[in-house]
Amino acid sequence: MPSSSIEFLLNDELITLNDLDTNTTVLEYLRNYKNLKGTKEGCASGDCGACTAVLAEVKDNKLKYKSINTCITLLYTLHSKQLLTVEHIESKYLHPVQQSMVDNDGAQCGFCTPGFVMSMYAMHKNKIKPTNENINKYLSGNLCRCTGYRPIKDALKNLKKYKNLNTDSSEILKKLKKINLNDVILNKNNSKFFIHKNLQTFKKDFIKSKNPSLLVGGTDLSLEITKRRKNLDEIFYLGQNKDLNFIKVKKNNLHIGAATPINDILSILKKYYSEFYEMFERYGSEQIRNVASLGGNIGSASPIGDSLPVLISLDTKLILDGNKSRKMSISDYFISYRKTKLRKKEFIKEIIIPLKSKHNILKCYKISKRIDDDISSVFMAINTEIKNKKFKSIKIVCGGMAAIPKIAKKTENFLKNKKINLDNISKAKKIISKEFSPLSDVRSSKTYRTKIVSNLLDRFWNEYNNKRVTLYDY
Amino acid sequence: MSIIIKELLCMTTKIFVKNIEHESAIKHVTGKAIYTDDIPEPQNLLYAAIGFSNVSKGTIQKTDFTKVLNSKGVIDIITESDIEGQNDVGPIFKGDKIFTSKNIEYYGQPIFAVIATSTKLARQAALNAKIEIKKLKPILTIEEAIKKKSFVLKSKVIKKGKASMAIKNSDHQLKGKLECGGQDHFYLEGQIALTIPQEDNNFLIYSSTQHPSETQQIVAKVIKQKFNSINVKVRRIGGGFGGKETQSFLFAAISSIASKKLNKPVKLRIDRDDDMIMTGKRHQFKFDYEVGFSNDGKINGLKILMASNCGISADLSGAINDRAIYHIDNAYYIPNLELTSHRCKTNTVSNTAFRGFGGPQGMFCIENIIDHISHHLNKDPAKIRAQNFYKINTNNITHYGMKIEDNIIEEIFNNLKNKSKYIKRKKEIEKFNKSNSILKKGIAITPVKFGISFTTTHLNQAGALVHIYTDGSIHLNHGGIEMGQGLMTKLALVAANEFGLDISDIKISSTDTEKVSNTSASAASATTDLNGGAILNAIYNIKLELDSFIKKYYKTKKIIYQNGKIMCDKKTLLFNEVISKAYLNRVKLYSSGFYKTPKINVNVKDLSGRPFLYFAYGAAVSEVVIDTLTGENKLLQVDIIHDAGNSINQRIDMGQIEGGFVQGLGWLTTEEISWNKNGNILSHSPSTYKIPTAGEIPNKFNVEIFKKGYNIENVVNRSKAVGEPPFMLALSVFSAIRDAVFNANSNKDSTKLIAPATPENILNSLN
Repeated sequence: MPSSSIEFLLNDELITLNDLDTNTTVLEYLRNYKNLKGTKEGCASGDCGACTAVLAEVKDNKLKYKSINTCITLLYTLHSKQLLTVEHIESKYLHPVQQSMVDNDGAQCGFCTPGFVMSMYAMHKNKIKPTNENINKYLSGNLCRCTGYRPIKDALKNLKKYKNLNTDSSEILKKLKKINLNDVILNKNNSKFFIHKNLQTFKKDFIKSKNPSLLVGGTDLSLEITKRRKNLDEIFYLGQNKDLNFIKVKKNNLHIGAATPINDILSILKKYYSEFYEMFERYGSEQIRNVASLGGNIGSASPIGDSLPVLISLDTKLILDGNKSRKMSISDYFISYRKTKLRKKEFIKEIIIPLKSKHNILKCYKISKRIDDDISSVFMAINTEIKNKKFKSIKIVCGGMAAIPKIAKKTENFLKNKKINLDNISKAKKIISKEFSPLSDVRSSKTYRTKIVSNLLDRFWNEYNNKRVTLYDY
Repeated sequence: MSIIIKELLCMTTKIFVKNIEHESAIKHVTGKAIYTDDIPEPQNLLYAAIGFSNVSKGTIQKTDFTKVLNSKGVIDIITESDIEGQNDVGPIFKGDKIFTSKNIEYYGQPIFAVIATSTKLARQAALNAKIEIKKLKPILTIEEAIKKKSFVLKSKVIKKGKASMAIKNSDHQLKGKLECGGQDHFYLEGQIALTIPQEDNNFLIYSSTQHPSETQQIVAKVIKQKFNSINVKVRRIGGGFGGKETQSFLFAAISSIASKKLNKPVKLRIDRDDDMIMTGKRHQFKFDYEVGFSNDGKINGLKILMASNCGISADLSGAINDRAIYHIDNAYYIPNLELTSHRCKTNTVSNTAFRGFGGPQGMFCIENIIDHISHHLNKDPAKIRAQNFYKINTNNITHYGMKIEDNIIEEIFNNLKNKSKYIKRKKEIEKFNKSNSILKKGIAITPVKFGISFTTTHLNQAGALVHIYTDGSIHLNHGGIEMGQGLMTKLALVAANEFGLDISDIKISSTDTEKVSNTSASAASATTDLNGGAILNAIYNIKLELDSFIKKYYKTKKIIYQNGKIMCDKKTLLFNEVISKAYLNRVKLYSSGFYKTPKINVNVKDLSGRPFLYFAYGAAVSEVVIDTLTGENKLLQVDIIHDAGNSINQRIDMGQIEGGFVQGLGWLTTEEISWNKNGNILSHSPSTYKIPTAGEIPNKFNVEIFKKGYNIENVVNRSKAVGEPPFMLALSVFSAIRDAVFNANSNKDSTKLIAPATPENILNSLN
């Protein structure tokens, strides 16, 4: 029997909940229902981090901490987790991250500060070394308009000065493990919220549904609620579905469950595709990577979803499921702007990426206005096998150049079996600059986009010649 | 005689510096600092949301609110017909309508507001209005506005000497065009107002505003009541930067109209996207210039046509464009100048105050002209800059006729040039650029001279109210707003210093129109100067009586307030004991105080006179690298020396310097406001509008407060205003990018670069 309420820990308090609207966000819950007003709303779209809180989840019999944007996290996804807010982390004394922020003048107007403190707290809990690189990565989802960040970064760098408050987490672990992990079906004002722990029960309910929304991180879907002011009728939360949350290597393929958070696939991805892994360092922010999934990125079918060109270039296959299961190449999946071959009552189950052969070169190029947490103006993935100085195979896939992530077919055809030399690269540049007719939008003009795809082939050529010349190395 | 007395009334008795943390630091990090949305909600609170236009010009043909009213949770709607008083929240000039019922003049113009039982339901319901609009062709660009003579205010022409002649007679002449973009404030706390009805039809308003007095006045006029029936309170705001100087009035007005109509408390909290759509931004500017200069780069004559996009109404655009004119010289002596300033009216949201208030745009212009001259002569821009600096005894009169008496720019500039190893690094960059074909580096050093005082003279006044309670604890009140700049910390230190007490003895309280009236906005960097002056005056008034009591009662000539004690001729008394004695002897232990900036005067017609009491100075060196394939760019190192006078609190001032610089960095690099061809803003969220993140900041970020800083004018503690000036230190980043472009281009032309220097704009400037 599925249960009809969720259970979670709000700081130390065990909460059983079923009486609030299924579209309620965690932030609304904290501020409007629990009077916990330390957590702030800055944007309600997961871009500024003022609302950051920390989730503790049981994994391998340990607690794992992740920062999240509470403004786009739906309340009922908290089932079986602990939510830690800024009110909690101070005990008798300020927590070291708080004291260090005070001592380093990390707050001015103070509105973004609780969010920063919680991102830093997650770093601290996960014992992340405060190197420049790590700081930029872990704070990429927190905006501050007052300080200019130097004092906040110093607060992290100087953390070692403070005595560690070692809190015992065994009590929390015990409490969380006691929470019943049955399926949950909530029904509130004719709006339903489902949590399934495996595929079998999920499929049964999903197929019966009328107007389902599939939810993992909610980094796109929640904006339907917070920005487009919609009510979602039937929400299927896939974040606790074991059959959709995994990453494993089988034979020559990497198999990834569609709902697996990006940060959970990175360590394995780094081993097999370091370039793909590096791309994710500039994909959203830490808060986003903690919850967003590959399945979500594919499902929302954005023409600028950074992982899509890479997946296409790697000849990725998708397992779609529903009434019956089918396998499809991801390059056939996208039809037109935000339209895909996914049928009604069908969902993305699994992503299968062939492992790289020795001769393959993968390159991922992202161009955006800001380095961190920005959406690409142009993204290019190149996957090629070069043998005897010839392009034995080549895939060039671009984001931001069309209504869908798109293959530069003509350029590929030209380069295939051609010698890799400056002359051919120059010719390919001309071809690729005519291959797309991109739009002008808030991120860049069509002229710029066209110029960039062509210039990125220069970058490829330079890197092929072992001249890595990007300013990110400086 | 009268001037001397006035100065005495507000003098710091003992110059000090006290480097302590922000007064709310612990509350900030624990989430206990209360912002408007965190105030415990009153019973029966209702929530509002605004319905606004989604076209930029047109006329409303028909409105149907039936579906709105039938939506879940909706109590009522309010429109223009619910406004009892004026339908305008314009601060100086009229023209900022609350609601329109007929003519649509910009995208995002409010048409109605919904009042419902929750913010969520109000916002949902607002989408259900049916509004038929007949679209008209909008004016959207500066060029179109100039062509059609569409201006919000009369153009101004400023002349000094004979510019045309001087240009003609120069060794070299150059012409050029420049452009810098707008900027969204992106304060982290969005616009919000909460109005609570009181007895006698009075209203208490909590508003996230930089200007409680004008909120009070405007709301009173909107709901047609006397000013004394409105009370505005502000403890702190989550960032302002000029975006809550006038832009907050609309929201306080709407929550108050609704509150009066329904006789219930009403909260209006604006969603981030709606905030970015509905509120004004920094003015975009375009410049045409013609400059004549000598073989060694000395400017002889300069002609400038400057035009700003003011949006639909005047708002503060007059003073903003005036300040751009006042800063067209930055730190340079321009013997002959002819300048025309157009204040263009377009069908976009009305642009408004933003840190620097036109100053950054004026200085952007001259710094780029200097770069152009330097590149033309193939000389180091640092040399051309120094060549043109104002001098101490000669060349020290500005184009508006003010004599500069506190010039320290050369010293700061040269100190920084040495400290940052500018010359050595410039050589290294040359080497780097020779061996790199794709990546190119650039470096630049730029000065800042920024005039302090409101250029609207009458705004340069402030009041304060200081109470000493009988236990010796002190309550401090004044007209300034705490928006993160550390105002309250600095002012409490000033009061503590005068009484020889610890800051913990000083109660910092909400700014409240019932305590100190007729205040000016917390703006123009002058909030500490003005309110500090008023506090010193209040304390002076208290001490006038208190000291004479002490002299008599304790038979002493000496009175020194120190460490919670009062030192007399023979003995040392506890401050709190003296206070309770004073009370028993019927001594007045509280006082108001008043301050008005001395010496300033302006001829509003030609802007001549002495608009500023003094100048704040600074200089910055920035080094960048650009990728000539993509236009991507990265800031590698920043070195700054900035003059804060005799700082009251260097930790606080450091925060202003660094934070101001980074905000300027955003303006000039990643922050791009984008509109579609119909005038709809496209960059209305943090996903499409990119302010700097932690990763944009260089690891080498060396900031120093000018060690010899001292204000020659009698300003509180001899300190200097530090809110806005550092913003313009970021001009060094743009000049460094220009240098990199210059270094990359074979034709040695960098004039195509416009701001913000996004990857696209950088790539476009490369040949």
